[in-house]
Amino acid sequence: MRRHLVPLLVLVAIAWGGVAAALAFGVTPVLGLDLKGGTSVTLRAPDGTDPEVLQKAVEVMQRRIESFGSVQEPEIQISGDYNVIVQLPGVTDRERALTAIGQTGELSFRPVLESSFLVSPLLVPGLLESTTTTTVAATSTTGADDSTTTSTEPATTTTTTLPPGVDPETGLTIEDDPTKEAWLAEYAEDGTVLEVYHVGPSQLSGADLDSALAGFAGGSTSIAQWQVQLDLSNEGAAKFQEMTKAAASYPLGDVRRQIAIVLDGEVVSAPQVNADVDPNVGISGGSAVITMGSGENQQQEAQDLSVILRYGSLPVAFERDQVQNVSATLGADSLNAGLVAGAGGLILVALAVVLYYRSLGLVTVIGLSVFGSLLLLVIGLLSRYIGTTLTLAGVTGIIVSIGITADSYIVFYERIKEEVRAGRSINAAVEEGFARAFHTILTADTVSILAAVLLWLLAVGPVKGFALTLGIATFLDIVVAYYFTKNAVWLMAGTRLGHGGWFSIEGASGRPVSEGAS
Amino acid sequence: MSLMGRLYRGETSYDFVGARRAFLIVSSTLLLVSVVSLLFQGLNLSLDFRGGVAVEAENPAGAGVGDVREALAPLGLADARIQLLADGQELRVQTEALDPDEADAFVRAVATVAGTEVTDTSVDEVGPTFGAQITERAVLALVVFLGAVILFMSWRLEWKMAFSGIAALTHDLIITFGVYSITGFEVTPATIIAILTILGYSLYDTVVVFDKVQENVEAADRVPFTDIVNKSMNQVLMRSINTSLTSLLPVGSLLFVGSFLLGARTLLEFALALFVGIAAGTYSSIGVASPLLAVWKEREEEWTRIRRRLNRVSEDAVRPSGQARPPAEKARPRTTTGATPRPPKKRRR
Repeated sequence: MRRHLVPLLVLVAIAWGGVAAALAFGVTPVLGLDLKGGTSVTLRAPDGTDPEVLQKAVEVMQRRIESFGSVQEPEIQISGDYNVIVQLPGVTDRERALTAIGQTGELSFRPVLESSFLVSPLLVPGLLESTTTTTVAATSTTGADDSTTTSTEPATTTTTTLPPGVDPETGLTIEDDPTKEAWLAEYAEDGTVLEVYHVGPSQLSGADLDSALAGFAGGSTSIAQWQVQLDLSNEGAAKFQEMTKAAASYPLGDVRRQIAIVLDGEVVSAPQVNADVDPNVGISGGSAVITMGSGENQQQEAQDLSVILRYGSLPVAFERDQVQNVSATLGADSLNAGLVAGAGGLILVALAVVLYYRSLGLVTVIGLSVFGSLLLLVIGLLSRYIGTTLTLAGVTGIIVSIGITADSYIVFYERIKEEVRAGRSINAAVEEGFARAFHTILTADTVSILAAVLLWLLAVGPVKGFALTLGIATFLDIVVAYYFTKNAVWLMAGTRLGHGGWFSIEGASGRPVSEGAS
Repeated sequence: MSLMGRLYRGETSYDFVGARRAFLIVSSTLLLVSVVSLLFQGLNLSLDFRGGVAVEAENPAGAGVGDVREALAPLGLADARIQLLADGQELRVQTEALDPDEADAFVRAVATVAGTEVTDTSVDEVGPTFGAQITERAVLALVVFLGAVILFMSWRLEWKMAFSGIAALTHDLIITFGVYSITGFEVTPATIIAILTILGYSLYDTVVVFDKVQENVEAADRVPFTDIVNKSMNQVLMRSINTSLTSLLPVGSLLFVGSFLLGARTLLEFALALFVGIAAGTYSSIGVASPLLAVWKEREEEWTRIRRRLNRVSEDAVRPSGQARPPAEKARPRTTTGATPRPPKKRRR
């Protein structure tokens, strides 16, 4: 008796208690974006992309999405060798989402008007040591004309009147528009602000660059240094000359002699125009070198900078493979439809088993509710701790698993009938029938689990979500059959519900269920 | 009632294997029709497989097909596929794959003509190579799965059962795709998922029958294999019927809800394939996998010997029309229906 009662009660307690606790602590399944609205983007990098580069791209996207604001639980993952899947639940503005992640960043070269511009006390002066050891070396010849094009209008640094578009918390421009002045920061690797620059409108864009290569070479000075060699287009060369001419008109050490390289509203580097550049000419000839220094750090810096100059912020040019954008209403409709279909299916199955199997049907109904509770619990826990989401495909997987679970009961009950017909007592029939039925259930379920695992490992996209719920459901089916169903039926067999046709088994008691023995 | 009663008690004695000619005719007709349709009509693959852009939007402006076509003409997209859903309350417009900029313009145009915001639309945009990739992965998954199943079933049951099961599975898959080809329903990723489910279900159903066959083989004593298969199928017939019922009920619920509830198109796509597949799966474990196994096994030396001996015994007996029946009748007293003590080699306890 206890042998049967204890595992049964433990499992029911885990299932129902667990669900109650989960609901109380808010551990519920997190809905996928096809159920609550949002945008999902699959990007593909060109074949042969280095995994490290892909990882870097993902980091950049992560940062961009964070700056995007109001995204609940964004998810970026690398799938396969060249795919990146970005999930933005709740983001229904497709174009903005795509701009944020898919496009290579906007690169601009801008004159520095001021640096270490402080608006907020958050920017502690101690952080404001210039770490840029960079200078722009000239490859120049003489020209004519002396015209400084600096439109320097230092903004008021008073605390009260903030320039438009500046965040009062950080003192930085919120959304950078390259055609306007902006207050932008240069960040250290750990995300702390190194320096804040007040920069003018863009005078040169990434499109004006033909190439940027990092290398180790002797510059104008005799010491060999890490450097980035820039090659500009014809149009770019003229703009660059104009720009450097203006910068060179300021004395060495003046911040206005620096040129800020800005990417996605962040200052990447702000090299100073070299001492030997003629302020009347600027840097002409369409090429320039940014020297970084000779240390190992400088090597990394030079390489990073050259990558940024070449590709914008994303080190890879991605192609949009799939963009799925689900409006909030469509998501809610799908969820409702899934719930209605699930509930309807469950009620129909419950009716059918109760009508056919009577008291055994009742065991099935309770068993299904234990199964459902466990499933909800497991999916909720997975959502919480692994970050899986419940998608529409997952919901359909659950609905399908209702049928497969019901089958385990049917296989078992038919088995009991057979044993009873063979002349066994009902308790013996339950024991023996279960042993036999469980062998069948285990074999058949293994095939299902095999399918689920392989799909999960090999398939992409929505199929994964389906495979996950199917696999969990099938596994729980085995657990419930072993700990709940067997024991519940055994216990019931000992009560009045096990007799007199309640079990729907002829011969289980004196009274036959259907007329006429053959 | 008497049929129900016999079914109920598992006492039916249908000669499933003997009816294999009928099954063969039914199955080969279905397969032929499916294959011909697949060859000549092909499948209506959704844009997820060939690339394209689809917009779904509510339609408060009540725009008709003509209005949408007109609005899309300046973009050179007048040949887009335009559908009105839910009595014109919703619009669904599809085009071929577009450049990112064109795609954005397309979405804006549809939103404007429908009188809604771009942010309230649902958009599916798929690059032309993405579908090939999905298909590739799905086929890979399928091949690995089949290999794993053959190994597993060969180990747990036996290899001839594994291949009979796979044959039934292939049969179900071809017929399901055939139904999609004939009806012209769109094949979407949801359909693929459903078909993968059928894969599992079809085998699951076959495994339940074969598990019983194997159990009966172990218990049997000098009975033709065909009779064992027949007996096993009769024993699990009620289970098959009930299981199909309990599997089809939730799927039917999906179909119903999918057809009548707004925004449940994915559910509908899913449910149709499941419905066809589960029906085919139940049929094929009885009509394809089991007869195939029986015919195959009867060729084995051990089983031909048994059959020959039994035929000699019954040579003088009057032979009724059914071919597989007389030995079955003869053998019945000797078969273990469970009433006789089980043989010592019991696998599970």
